[in-house]
Amino acid sequence: MIQVKGLTKIFKKVEAVKNVSFTVEKGTVFGLLGENGAGKTTTLRILATMLKPTSGTASIDGTDLLVDPEEVRSKIGILFGGETGLYDRLTARENIKYFGLLNGMSKEEVSRRINELSDILDMQEYIDRRAGKFSKGMKQKVSIARSIVHNPEIMLFDEPTSGLDVTAVRMVHDFIKRLKDQGKTIIFSSHSMNEVEKLCDVVGVIHKGKIIEVSTVKNLREKYNNMELEDIFVELVGDKNV
Amino acid sequence: MFNKYTWIVLKKELTDIFRDKKTIITSILIPILVFPILAFVIGSSTDQFLGQNNNPVDMALISEEENKLEEFLKANDNVNIIEVENPQEALKELDIKVILKIDKGFDERIERGEAGNIEFIYDITSSRSDMAQSRLNGIIGEFSHSITLSKLEELGISSQILNPINIEKTILENQQADQGIGLMILSIILPLMLTVWSAVGGMAAATDLGVGEKERQTLEPLLTTKASRLSLLMGKYFAVVVAGILGTLAALTGFGIASEINPNFTGSGVTMPIQSIIAIGILCIGLALIFSALELTISFYARSFKEAQTYLSPMTIIVMIPAYFTMYLDGKEIPDLFLHIPIINTISIIKESIVGVFNIEHILIVAGWTIVYIGLALFFTVRMFNKESVIFRS
Repeated sequence: MIQVKGLTKIFKKVEAVKNVSFTVEKGTVFGLLGENGAGKTTTLRILATMLKPTSGTASIDGTDLLVDPEEVRSKIGILFGGETGLYDRLTARENIKYFGLLNGMSKEEVSRRINELSDILDMQEYIDRRAGKFSKGMKQKVSIARSIVHNPEIMLFDEPTSGLDVTAVRMVHDFIKRLKDQGKTIIFSSHSMNEVEKLCDVVGVIHKGKIIEVSTVKNLREKYNNMELEDIFVELVGDKNV
Repeated sequence: MFNKYTWIVLKKELTDIFRDKKTIITSILIPILVFPILAFVIGSSTDQFLGQNNNPVDMALISEEENKLEEFLKANDNVNIIEVENPQEALKELDIKVILKIDKGFDERIERGEAGNIEFIYDITSSRSDMAQSRLNGIIGEFSHSITLSKLEELGISSQILNPINIEKTILENQQADQGIGLMILSIILPLMLTVWSAVGGMAAATDLGVGEKERQTLEPLLTTKASRLSLLMGKYFAVVVAGILGTLAALTGFGIASEINPNFTGSGVTMPIQSIIAIGILCIGLALIFSALELTISFYARSFKEAQTYLSPMTIIVMIPAYFTMYLDGKEIPDLFLHIPIINTISIIKESIVGVFNIEHILIVAGWTIVYIGLALFFTVRMFNKESVIFRS
């Protein structure tokens, strides 16, 4: 379970996240929906303890991120979108192993888990090849494996399909569904309404650093006379832009 | 400071570094090759220079009458008198290297006890012409001396009058006559080489491990692992230090090969006590520890690889300034102030060691300051790595 309470982040004079609060129940997929620059990445970076909040806090499965950031990090996995960063001179196996070891796993555990993930994500063919010449899709699979090698209970996805082709997008979607079926708690940030509608149980609309609506997709539809999510989003954001 | 996560990062970074051709070339291969190449080039040019010195001087002679100097030169194996139509043009083309003009009445003037007049015409912009006139000057000097001796003999005066003082030079015990030049060469080259490579040997690795990680977008996932930032940073830091030390060792290997190729390159007859070599080694590692921290700090601060290289390139010059400043510093007379200034203090200890001085007090002062400088440099590195505005600077 993730509980976010009054999270605020100010960079110099810019308030990137303003008093954000929401709760993600265990086993649900929470979609953080917002335009570019709305504050999605900053919120996820705070939850991943990469950034310190200016005020407010959050707890991950009962652990406050300000009190024990290392424990929080061991409970989460994070996958970034866009250009996926891998160590080009290391093999896919070495890339994943490095992150497993840095998450406190033993060598035997990591080795077992890599074989498991290699089967699940269909990476056997290139698991021992250096990552430098991988395609975007191959890189994204290795990144996924890297983010879940320690089998975290909570996953944070920061626009994970950004810049990917259709096949790779479908692979990421399938993977998220699989995690959901396993009962993992997920926050999924996106600016794509279709993705959020397809994958998320609960949607939080973020605009200019503020959460302006949190609801299930079904409730949102009911509230806005069965409008499409995209239209609801435009109406919500439009109101705030005026 | 050094936990299991630091070790994991260090091992990974070293694997990564040794798989990177660029880092291997700049940190290991270039230092190994640069000194032997330098020694070969210096050796070849010295041989060429000495070869020219052994050949007869190609010259033209302008004289309106027969004289004894002309006879002397024609009989001298070190002179090659060439007949040319236009000596000035031949000199311009360097077909001859020098023109000697002997004035009319040269022999008569000498007979009368006056100075005979001659003139050298040469090309000052040509080192070979300049060297030829210098050699001809020496050859004519011998002729001049023989005239002086015969005149003295005619007058019944001993030639001893020309050397009223006998000078005898004696060096201290346990010193070799040819040691001086060796010490001078070594005390100029060794401090420069050791300090520069200790300081910049890890530069390529620092760039890759700092801003390279940012640019590849691998830093963010790394920051979300269980490992603390300090553990991650220390792993990277020690990897840069190892690269720096390997760079220094590579330079020393190159230096050794260079001395085999050209023994004059490093200077002969210099021996250093083992404790001095150990002290130099430790202080150079200290320099590597200071500069690795600074390089990593700059690398993390930079937005891109290119920006990091722009910031880091002047560091080589910064290190060379104290090395050149102390180039002619006498290892037996190190000013106390020098023991407190970074880089200069390490150079001072190297200079002392080269001349056989092992001053434990000096070594401890420099070691103490080195620890302080390492602490300060690391303080800035840790601060920089913890600054959100730097890590997420793009």
